[in-house]
Amino acid sequence: MAAITLENVSRHFGAVAAVDNVSLNVEAGEFVTLLGPSGCGKTTTLRMVAGLEQNTGGRIGIDGQIVSDAAAKFFMPPERRMLGMVFQSYAIWPHMTVFDNVAYPLRIRRRPANEIQERVKGALRLVEMENFADRPAPALSGGQQQRVAIARALVFEPRVLLLDEPLSNLDARLRTQTGDEFRSLQKRLGITSLYVTHDQSEAMALSDRVVVMHSGHILQIGSPEDIYRHPTSRGVAAFFGSPNFLPSQVTQCTQQANGSFLLTLDGPGWTGPCGCSSAQPAGAQVVVMIRSENMGVSTDGAVQAADAMTWKGQVVQSIFRGTHRSLIVETPAGRLNIDVPAVTNPETGSTVTVVADRQAAWATPA
Amino acid sequence: MTDDTAGALRSSSTPASKLGGVDNVGFRLARYFTGRDALVLALIAILGFLAVYPLTMLFYGSLHSTPPGMAGEFNLDGYRSIMTASNVIVLLNTIGISLGKTIPALLLAVFLSWIIARTDTPYRDKLEVLITLPFFVPPILTAMAWGMLGNPQVGLLNQVWKWATGSTVSPINVYSYGGVIWHQLQYSTPFLFLFIVDIFRAMDPSLEESSRMCGASRWRTFRAITLMLMLPALTNSFILSFIRGIENFESPLFFGTPAKITVITTEIYNSINHRATPDYQYATALSFAIMALMFLLVLWQWYVLRGRSFSTVTGKGYSPNVMKLGPWKWVTFGFCVLFFFITVVLPIGQLAIGSFFKFFGFYSYDMLTLEHYTAVFGNSEIWRGFWNTMLLGLVGATATMFLGAIVAYVSIRTRWRGRRLIDALAWLPWLMPGMVLGIGFLWAFAMLPGPIPIYGTIWALLLAYMALGTPVSVRVMSSAYAQLSFDLEECSRVHGATFFQTLWRILIALAWPSFAVGWVLAFFGIMRELSASILLYSVGSEVLSVVLLRLWSNGQAEQVSVIGLFMMLLVIVFRWAQLRFIKSRISTL
Repeated sequence: MAAITLENVSRHFGAVAAVDNVSLNVEAGEFVTLLGPSGCGKTTTLRMVAGLEQNTGGRIGIDGQIVSDAAAKFFMPPERRMLGMVFQSYAIWPHMTVFDNVAYPLRIRRRPANEIQERVKGALRLVEMENFADRPAPALSGGQQQRVAIARALVFEPRVLLLDEPLSNLDARLRTQTGDEFRSLQKRLGITSLYVTHDQSEAMALSDRVVVMHSGHILQIGSPEDIYRHPTSRGVAAFFGSPNFLPSQVTQCTQQANGSFLLTLDGPGWTGPCGCSSAQPAGAQVVVMIRSENMGVSTDGAVQAADAMTWKGQVVQSIFRGTHRSLIVETPAGRLNIDVPAVTNPETGSTVTVVADRQAAWATPA
Repeated sequence: MTDDTAGALRSSSTPASKLGGVDNVGFRLARYFTGRDALVLALIAILGFLAVYPLTMLFYGSLHSTPPGMAGEFNLDGYRSIMTASNVIVLLNTIGISLGKTIPALLLAVFLSWIIARTDTPYRDKLEVLITLPFFVPPILTAMAWGMLGNPQVGLLNQVWKWATGSTVSPINVYSYGGVIWHQLQYSTPFLFLFIVDIFRAMDPSLEESSRMCGASRWRTFRAITLMLMLPALTNSFILSFIRGIENFESPLFFGTPAKITVITTEIYNSINHRATPDYQYATALSFAIMALMFLLVLWQWYVLRGRSFSTVTGKGYSPNVMKLGPWKWVTFGFCVLFFFITVVLPIGQLAIGSFFKFFGFYSYDMLTLEHYTAVFGNSEIWRGFWNTMLLGLVGATATMFLGAIVAYVSIRTRWRGRRLIDALAWLPWLMPGMVLGIGFLWAFAMLPGPIPIYGTIWALLLAYMALGTPVSVRVMSSAYAQLSFDLEECSRVHGATFFQTLWRILIALAWPSFAVGWVLAFFGIMRELSASILLYSVGSEVLSVVLLRLWSNGQAEQVSVIGLFMMLLVIVFRWAQLRFIKSRISTL
């Protein structure tokens, strides 16, 4: 049974639709991320699930129970939805200690004092903050506040945990660490989580499924790998990194066993098969996405794999980035961005052979 | 910080100081003791004259047996004479009345702020202007208007009540404790509102939302989170308002004195103006007592607030949670309008009505007249008072703001030696009620050497107004500077502007709206000032508030109404201009 159900949910501010007809099912125990640029409606969607904003259309259900139905004019206020939420600013109350902050949801529910003691201790231990219980909240660092916010959201065992860009106020190193810790905690507790972020790598690393949103619409829902490797549209493909797009023409289309389609394409400087999420008629224009890390260069013209796509071209730019080197190569297929190992260092202006792994190519409608 | 950079730039631009290893002493002294120190010393001298000198003279006066300028001896009679049973009553009255008005004013101000900042009440922006308007009206005007409205014999409200119910009993008598408190309440509420509404607005809404997510209802969240977060700020405004209540002079003078209710300020006033021979030693000793009380209050304020100001403001442009009230929004709308009606429309209406009838209280058709208007416009003394007030307002507000702008700059944006002293000196008059400062200056001017004839001139009033206005002007300008990041100044310096170019093109260009807001505040402050003016004026240097008071004591309530009406008009025009032209609301206060 789905832990969170959104059926055609919309949110209109006057004539503007911040969220337009969004439908989504989050399974129990699943970690789902809403991903998109700022203003795409992801935070509004989360806030509608929380009950902090009212949906102007559609229905929202939590644990099989309808909490908001615009047509029936039914709206359950946030305090009755039994959800945990972590805010971007953490919203740690500065007039309370760490303990009081975490104990707040239990005190609201009038739990006995010894139970509060125990559960707050437990929640703080979960986030490794048990030694900070008596600290006044303003004396915490950003990372510590974030942990307290998570403890507070988990302490009353909510049905669902909502997280609104909880890592965006942390510095880069702490962000990865805290994210990984949170993910393992989430897996251990098996708590359903709906997470909002604009950071693709965060979404990749944490989620079971990613929902890519743009201007109030859902573009694609899928596992991180699926979304990254098999985008259904050029917009989704472009959202992660800066891939290469090769305009091509469809000559043949066949459906495959896994539901995707295999196209035979005629592109600039190459022909051959390529996967695609949707059926494309022969003669249709598509673009083939190849990510820069799936391309390589060969200076001596030797190509190992027989079915690899190759172009000859001239290196116009070479930037050393530490973990790898970014090249821009001018080829008949256009300017290509290529990430090569940092030790590979073709001279600027030299002619190289660009090699792309055909398995990594994926076609999307133009 | 800024000035360290400035210093570094300056010294590197004069290579002599770097290359010439052994500077001569004179050169070094000249470099060390430069314009900066001269400015600091000048500021200390000005502020010292405005605050420390009258305070010292006040202390001197409290120990000296005779009035200023006469031979006498030093003794403690003044302090001995204030230790009486009746003065205990005076003290209790003072504290009781101030508490009695501060508590309801705070509740009312929180409620009004909540309506304006956190509900979807219609026309909130306009209501906000209306609610804050009473704060800008000189209290002496509303005091007189309420004296007419709530007069137990012929007051308009009582007449309407009797006419409506057929009763012969007057329910309202403003000459009572209730009247004193009621009048102060009308000023304290908008004063507190101006503080509190911005706290409501600036709060990070997620602090409240997270409470809702934790299962707390709206009301529980308001009590446990919103109010608790505001508590330090509320305590601060409570103490501020309480202090102002103790300083208050107009309300107890108009409504307390006729009912034999005396507070400290009116007791000081009476001991100078209403005794066969003014008892200056008694008055100054009492002034010192009230200052001691204020000092204790300020200490208490520091004690309560130390380390308890939560920064709930996070720089981000939040839109605060707005509660949808449904049909109730018209109730809150009506409440705000009612507040405006009672505090502004009723008194103005009374003045308007009063000005057209021969005798106030007798409102019949054959009593209609314009003679009060001709009397007022033909009265040269009133005109003189008007021009004096205007002159003092324009010059005083400008001087006060320039002083405040410079003091705030030195204390906030530089690390010059002596900046803390300057800041403390500028803040000192804050401790002194107008009445006390008036007496201090009375002595101070009398003790000046002969060739400096300030006493009895308009300059005496100007200096007193500057002293009274400086703490506010410094605060307004400090908050304006504090909002401007140092980067802005440093960036200007790096891009080649000199110190003074930066001052002019960056700092003043960005801070002038605050300057203008502060100027209007200072102008209003001068126009409404009564307690110091009444002690320092003399023939020829009367200001409007003094003229009004004199007319009122002569029983010419009708002419008072005419003048009051024009002053109200002036207030509304100024306030409108302020809101219209200084749109960037850096601070309403």
